[in-house]
Amino acid sequence: MHKRSILLVVGAVALVASLIVGPAATAKSDAASAGTVVIGHDQEPVTLNNLITEGNAYTTSLVTNTVLASASVYNQNAKLVPYLVDAAPKIVKPNPLTVSFKYKASAKWSDGRQLTGNDFRATYNTIMNPNFDITSREGWEDIASIKVNGKAVTVTWKKGKAYAAWDALVATSPYPAHKMAGQNFNDLYRNSIDVASGPFKFVSWQKGTQLVLAKNTAFTAGPKAKVDRVIFRYIPSTPSLFQALQSGEIQVTEPQPQLQIVDIRKNSRFKVQSGPGYFWEHMDIQFGPKGHPALKQAFVRQAIITGINRNQIKQALYVSPGLVGSAKELPVLQSHIFKPFEGNYQPNWKKWSFSQKKVITMLKAKGCTGGPNAPSANNSAVWSCPNVGKLSFRFTTTSGNQLRALTFEIAQKQLKSVGIELIPRFGPAGTVFGQVLPSGDWDIFMFTWLGGPTSSSTSFGLYGCGGDQNYMNYCNKKGSALLQKAQFTPDPAARAKLLNEAEAKYLSQDVMSVPMYVRPGFLINSTSVKGPVLNPTQQGSTWNAQGWTVG
Amino acid sequence: MLTYVVRRLLYSIVVLFAASFIIFFFVSVSNDPLSFLRMQPTASEITIENISERKHLDEPIPVRYLYWVQDMFTNQFGTTTIGDRPILPDLTRVMGHTLQLVIAAELIAILLAIGIGVYSALRQYSAFDYSATTFSFVGLATPVFWLALMLQVLFVNIYLWFDIRIFYTANLSGIDPGTGLSFLLDRAQHLGLPVITLAIASIATYSRFMRASMLEVVNSDYVRTARAKGLHERKVTMRHAFRNALIPLVTIIALNLGALLSGAVVTETVFALDGMGFYYYNQLLLGDPYPVMAWLMVVATLVVVFNLVADIAYGILDPRVRYD
Repeated sequence: MHKRSILLVVGAVALVASLIVGPAATAKSDAASAGTVVIGHDQEPVTLNNLITEGNAYTTSLVTNTVLASASVYNQNAKLVPYLVDAAPKIVKPNPLTVSFKYKASAKWSDGRQLTGNDFRATYNTIMNPNFDITSREGWEDIASIKVNGKAVTVTWKKGKAYAAWDALVATSPYPAHKMAGQNFNDLYRNSIDVASGPFKFVSWQKGTQLVLAKNTAFTAGPKAKVDRVIFRYIPSTPSLFQALQSGEIQVTEPQPQLQIVDIRKNSRFKVQSGPGYFWEHMDIQFGPKGHPALKQAFVRQAIITGINRNQIKQALYVSPGLVGSAKELPVLQSHIFKPFEGNYQPNWKKWSFSQKKVITMLKAKGCTGGPNAPSANNSAVWSCPNVGKLSFRFTTTSGNQLRALTFEIAQKQLKSVGIELIPRFGPAGTVFGQVLPSGDWDIFMFTWLGGPTSSSTSFGLYGCGGDQNYMNYCNKKGSALLQKAQFTPDPAARAKLLNEAEAKYLSQDVMSVPMYVRPGFLINSTSVKGPVLNPTQQGSTWNAQGWTVG
Repeated sequence: MLTYVVRRLLYSIVVLFAASFIIFFFVSVSNDPLSFLRMQPTASEITIENISERKHLDEPIPVRYLYWVQDMFTNQFGTTTIGDRPILPDLTRVMGHTLQLVIAAELIAILLAIGIGVYSALRQYSAFDYSATTFSFVGLATPVFWLALMLQVLFVNIYLWFDIRIFYTANLSGIDPGTGLSFLLDRAQHLGLPVITLAIASIATYSRFMRASMLEVVNSDYVRTARAKGLHERKVTMRHAFRNALIPLVTIIALNLGALLSGAVVTETVFALDGMGFYYYNQLLLGDPYPVMAWLMVVATLVVVFNLVADIAYGILDPRVRYD
């Protein structure tokens, strides 16, 4: 009995183990088949229509940018380069702003039809149709006319409504007029795209698992794709994404900042690229009636920015752990308007260098009392200033974000050392962004603006008096006038001059917000895949996928 | 019995109705489905207004609840807030995948747990019993996410050291899963790690229940009587003790199945397995309340149904239990 029972148990275990492991273990190891690149991404698209709200996501762009090509693409330096057009679009007339461009003679749809200016016009008509859930109509709604002559297009904006980011607007991927006709655009390309204008075409989408693109053999507007297939695999857990990369289940990925990147950097089987992108972390300060009265005083805001060692925070988060290659890759952000890698970037906030002694001197000079006489990590005294009370502020941000929590902890300790208190008010993203931020019922709010190469031209919305996204209720009339003027200045150099003037003279002096750092982006690829190059824009890692090779 | 089942079903309708309101109320107040759109500097106001109007987001919660109930019955759980995608096809797809995972994991768990539990009880305080007890407690105390990640690390390293792919670490199928046997093999390699993860947790629980139940039964009077009659020990164990010891385990398994079929959120998310739990996690990230509500309603229904199944099974297995 005894032996028989043992045998029974062992037999059952062996049976189960052989059922699972037996057939599986006999399988050969499988690198992806030749000519196939597998990209792992943490988020799956909801739809393949990237003009409507549910498709307005980076993960959708990664797929659609290669299928529905843009007139121009942002390269690795965030510069627009012609792709489906013969040459860069040109300003024909500054007022009313008139722009012309011409699609290449070789630009055509995969079903054989020519890609023409009618496709651009149909795209415009679709975007302006109020029945469709288009994410943004900015710039499009000020277009006065579109003239089409075959492949040539001339776009004219309304007088006085020169759209600053006109070059990005006309670079938009044209949607096929012959496919959109009579269709409900909200339902178009929900699950598949039946035509392509780019180097790849859609093949299949196994929801929850993978999306497959194949080389578009009919593509003639540029170099044909070198790989046969690009497959997107969706793995939301970042540690799992790294395991899949290690085991060869995926070959390319753009992970969130994680410590595993440090190990991958040391592994010769992988190439890691990192660099600043267009997403910038910052601490906004509330000027409205629900904010702390002390924050309406410029000297208090100046004391806060002087008391935070932004360089140390950036070092602690990204440089010391080895996430980015070097400190130079990720400088302290000294502008809310331009990013450090942009040509028009000026370090307008550099004047606020870290000095704890200076904070104490500033506050004492304004008659504040009760604070420490010298900076000390053990300090618990908090300053009180005339008519505005104690310098104790609610600090709001999203919960569950380790990097933000760490940023807060460091800033809190730094400010505590000089007698300024930060009280955490963390909450779920849906609540803090959906309810708290628009309500204005906060003192300091840390979050990330998700921008792009055209973000600078829309700075008025963020920092102008009454700007749509100016949740700080900040208003400097002179600065705001310059930002508004910039919004309608199509010449990039003239626009940059206005924006930098507004920031250097007014915004940075007012310290309405503390710029922290630009979030770095990461691109990791197996060395068997040649060609992926990190792109800081929403164009994403697939911007040059047609040039990738697998060896 | 029939009267009892009908009465329980009628109670269940009331329970589900109450659950539906609680689900709708709490999910609705916890999140603004358009918040991510409002956060975009260039978002179109017309679009926001259109969606609000279409989905009645500007109406009071009780009115929205009635629209939602109507949608649930007449339009198969309705559509998503943004994009108006039908919810049911996605739910049906992921439910099928979860079924595959849960059936495989539970079969393995039940087989092993019963073996371990029975043997531990029959050889109480033996080395095997102590080892099984230790492993059960370790299994119960191990966080699922950690176990899942460790299994991934282990099998990735086996792949790197020996160049043998036993299991994949993510997703439900390979890039080219093939058909027939090749498809089955591919599916087994993808389901392997999540199945092991789920099975370990279930084995730990079931084996403890099985051991305790078996210990209670083997020391009971009727088993002693069976032995006194001169029955063979194997017959005493298998026919008299084992069958009666299974009763509490059946209840536990039935209740556990209800929870597992709603998706092992952590396991499915770590292994990117397109099941109910993974679906729930993704919909939470997207911030769309309607798929979340649909998922919660399915879960509530499963829990109610499997509670009923457990009660009925108990009655069938234990002749002492009678339903009035």
